[in-house]
Amino acid sequence: MTGRFALFLATTALTAAPAFAVEKAEVIDTYADIALAGYEDSLSTARALQAAVRTLVDTPSAEALEAARIAWKAARVPYQQTEAFRFGNPIVDDWEGKVNSWPLDEGLIDYVDPGYGGATDENGYAALNVIATPKFTLSGEEVDATEITPELIESTLHEADEVEANVASGYHAIEFLLWGQDLHGTEAGAGERPWTDYATGDDCTHGNCDRRGAYLTAATQLLVSDLEYMAAQWAEDGAARTTLESDEDAGIVAMLTGMGSLSYGEQAGERMKLGLMLNDPEEEHDCFSDNTHMSHYYDGKGVQNVYLGTYTRVDGSTVSGPSLSDLVAEADPAVDTRLTGELESTMAALGAIRDAAEGGFHYDMMLARGNAEGEALIQAAVDGLITQTRSIERAVAALGLDQIGFAGSDSLDNPDAVFQ
Amino acid sequence: MIRTLALALTLAGPVAAAVPEVVNEHAMPGFQAFSRATSALADAAAADCTPAALDDSYNAAFDAWLGVAHLQLGPTEAVTHSIAFWPDKRGFVGKTLAGMIADQDPVADDVGGYAEVSAAARGFFALEAMLFDPAFDGYETGSYSCRLVQTIAADLARTATRLETGWAGGFADTLLSAGADNNPVYLSKDEALRALYTQLMAGLEFNAETRLGRPLGTFERPRPTRAEAWRSGRPLRNVELSLKALHGLARTLANGPTPETDAAFAAAADVTANIEDPTFQTIEDPQERLHVEILQQRIQAIRAAVSDEIGDPLGVAAGFNSGDGD
Repeated sequence: MTGRFALFLATTALTAAPAFAVEKAEVIDTYADIALAGYEDSLSTARALQAAVRTLVDTPSAEALEAARIAWKAARVPYQQTEAFRFGNPIVDDWEGKVNSWPLDEGLIDYVDPGYGGATDENGYAALNVIATPKFTLSGEEVDATEITPELIESTLHEADEVEANVASGYHAIEFLLWGQDLHGTEAGAGERPWTDYATGDDCTHGNCDRRGAYLTAATQLLVSDLEYMAAQWAEDGAARTTLESDEDAGIVAMLTGMGSLSYGEQAGERMKLGLMLNDPEEEHDCFSDNTHMSHYYDGKGVQNVYLGTYTRVDGSTVSGPSLSDLVAEADPAVDTRLTGELESTMAALGAIRDAAEGGFHYDMMLARGNAEGEALIQAAVDGLITQTRSIERAVAALGLDQIGFAGSDSLDNPDAVFQ
Repeated sequence: MIRTLALALTLAGPVAAAVPEVVNEHAMPGFQAFSRATSALADAAAADCTPAALDDSYNAAFDAWLGVAHLQLGPTEAVTHSIAFWPDKRGFVGKTLAGMIADQDPVADDVGGYAEVSAAARGFFALEAMLFDPAFDGYETGSYSCRLVQTIAADLARTATRLETGWAGGFADTLLSAGADNNPVYLSKDEALRALYTQLMAGLEFNAETRLGRPLGTFERPRPTRAEAWRSGRPLRNVELSLKALHGLARTLANGPTPETDAAFAAAADVTANIEDPTFQTIEDPQERLHVEILQQRIQAIRAAVSDEIGDPLGVAAGFNSGDGD
């Protein structure tokens, strides 16, 4: 076993020393720089969202709600591109549930339509409605939620009763508080929460406006502090960065693992194909805001960024450097050309979904039973993601890194294993 | 090192031979059996739609599915949710069926159009709800629910036939012609081998992490009703049949003696006898929980044996699989 691994290294060394102009360490640097920039951008746009939320809660108006919604959508653009860092970096994967959990049983947080139903087999607290309920019993414990704080959301409510769908924090909880349920099914339209849900005194609709404002404020504050934590992990001495630097081969595998797991199991499967098979608008990733097309697009973009070693920041500047693409091109130019082209095709397919949705053919309409045009649009992107995954595997093989699997760990399908 | 290299050299020949054998001796007979069993179920439902009459044919068809369910490739990838939509984390099966029954959705009388409905109302888990869930199983011959059951069964049989043709008429060749100039999917024979090896490793992982892991939950909070097909009493049976099929795949793929792997599969089979309730509904009991956890560990040990004895000498590692997401 060890011998085999050593043999592989020896072979690489023979060709690598003179031929590899690109060093793995440089490629890892670029990757970590892009991650840092991505989380910094996520943080700055989340702070802008926080400011907009403050205005909404302090001086509620239709305009203030609209401004907060625009700030939320802007905050999603950099964050979705960081999803490519999730799988393969345990430090990100262990954390991301706090900020991007989905799908959620939103009745945990606030009022819902009667058609939503109540508690389910899977979730006894699906309709708890914390905003309307200052004191309640959770898994046998009395909870005092008179004050809605980031601490309450993080430690008591999030994943309450160990149920994943009890999403109390992060982008989608905030999204629900800004838009409300989308009751249009597979017809056009997003959630239509009125701004008066945050109004004071007699103008308040649906009750408990002060508690709703407190929840939104606390959830946004928590998002900001969670993103501060993650940006720090990618700074010069941050743990995410130093982990990758400590073992370069494992670092490169982590990059490719993140690309492949997001492309195939997560995006093509869980997020796109499943929604299509269920014809269910609740299976949209950003179902309250009808922003799913953008989420999908920037997820794909994040994968492409990692491979090409370049990221366009929210201020328009670019972070780039020696890339995986450069590394693969030196090992096997055909694999690099193929993968680069496939990533581009996927982006064209995701771009077509985005453009159709922006043009009025919303993502939830595409999911409707028997909607052939929508199905074709989504299926094309799913096919593109599956196709590029095969070439990501080819890149792993071209770099000789599938041998890491033979060196005693579980191989690619258990990304954590390479770090254990 | 010497041992590993020697093995690799010895098995260098059979590597290329393993892919055709998996296709012809493992996959194709499995898809044929699945197609036959689902046709028998559809015929039985057409003759008598009531739950008691369909118990045997439902179970036989589900058994047949486990012979091929791990082959998540090509035509299977497109239809797997409509055959077996599980896990159902948000209760879509019950919700969707209840909605169709309440609306008397006319699609229940349209086998051809049924392929368009939500995967939650199709396949084994929709049938399981109709046949075994007290919320649905009280229907009578001639009722809307009766026709719905007949249509779900007929639709499943059609899906199985399409799957069989999809493999026989195209995808089998895609695997067999790996590396040929006109093959856009597998650019070399090794890629086809890797694809099949990935199914083996992912199938083992699915049994350990999902089929057993979901009902196990945590020690403080076990989740019996998250077991797969618990209403029809199949949780342990599904694991046993899946392991049997995966063992078949491992042996065929290795195309040579695999004593370590055989022993690991046998060790897993041995401990299933200790599990008293095959439906996992008493998993809250610490002793019962322990037995299920031991089975889970034995399955992880199979992965290690397969990796050592098959993956390593064949020079192949598992690629990405559809369970890599959340």
